[in-house]
Amino acid sequence: MSATTAAVPFWRAAGMTYIGYSNICAALVRNCLKEPFKSEAASREKVHFSVAKWADGKQEKPSVILVSVLRVPALHGQPGSLLLA
Amino acid sequence: MAPLGARSVSTQIVRNRMKSVKNIQKITKAMKMVAASKLRAVQTRTENSRGLWQPFTALLGDAPSVDVKKNVIVAITSDKGLCGGINSTSVKVSRALHKLTSGPDKESKYVILGEKGKVQLVRDSRSSIEMTVSELQKNPINYTQIAVLADDILKNVEYDALRVVFNKFHSVISFKPTMVTILSPEVAEKESEAGGKIGDLDAYEIEGGETKSEILQNLAEFQFSCVLYNGALENACSELGARMSAMDSSSRNAGDMLDRLTLTYNRTRQASITTELTEIISGASALEG
Repeated sequence: MSATTAAVPFWRAAGMTYIGYSNICAALVRNCLKEPFKSEAASREKVHFSVAKWADGKQEKPSVILVSVLRVPALHGQPGSLLLA
Repeated sequence: MAPLGARSVSTQIVRNRMKSVKNIQKITKAMKMVAASKLRAVQTRTENSRGLWQPFTALLGDAPSVDVKKNVIVAITSDKGLCGGINSTSVKVSRALHKLTSGPDKESKYVILGEKGKVQLVRDSRSSIEMTVSELQKNPINYTQIAVLADDILKNVEYDALRVVFNKFHSVISFKPTMVTILSPEVAEKESEAGGKIGDLDAYEIEGGETKSEILQNLAEFQFSCVLYNGALENACSELGARMSAMDSSSRNAGDMLDRLTLTYNRTRQASITTELTEIISGASALEG
């Protein structure tokens, strides 16, 4: 199976996986909600875990992933904003 | 031992033991109730999340016996203890899988979610650990968090087949260790040529401008994320259920211990009263006589 050059979607070409892409889209949709629902949805997107890579049987320093920061280019000339708080 | 100057056996030691056992019983009862209330909340979410991976199994089938070069075993365990034997069963299954899938030109690595699994697997499989994750349950488990984690795993670990091991929650007293296999898109293509459920994939029409391999890639990533989400929730449920039953049996044991100690206490108390009485009476009769 060859010929993957033509139809690779833009996000795949940029190095994102499908779940990374769908995560960003979901964050965008959540950002469009109105107030009471927006704060409920915000509780559904809190990210917190601590991951440590191992090499040769030794654990390297763990890094805590707290938020996934998405910067979206400005709409209507307003500065780009943090989407996931 | 008995306080200085006492003429009879002291009940103080027994009383101290009874007090501490009663405190332990109160604590374990409270832990059981906390686990029960948390379980109610997580259980509904778990049952709802089962619908996420069922379409994948309907579409792609499950191939646990697939033979590939690079296996990655994703073991989901808990961070906290006092939850009975669920972490040990998960680790046992992971170790057996590791043995099964290692060989002359095959290898298998671990990705461990949760402290308890890491502690057990570090003892004998240090060199096969690729990544460990902890502090997953600081906030209630949500899909976004698991998706970020799945993304991290997919980007950093090379795999032909991912095997996710977790405890599936059947009921409050029954948790069965389960394994779900997710094939990488290349292996899935090979399997589809071989036939079986995946072979029927060609019967589907593909809309849009994508090729079959792209779709398989997207599907594989999304399947991993859904399965990981469901696995994490099921494991959390099993952890809470196991903690409930562990704390329940611990409270019952503490109650039994308390009964036995009470009997000893009463016997000692009555014996010391009897000795005092006999001393007084014999002293009195010695004076009269």
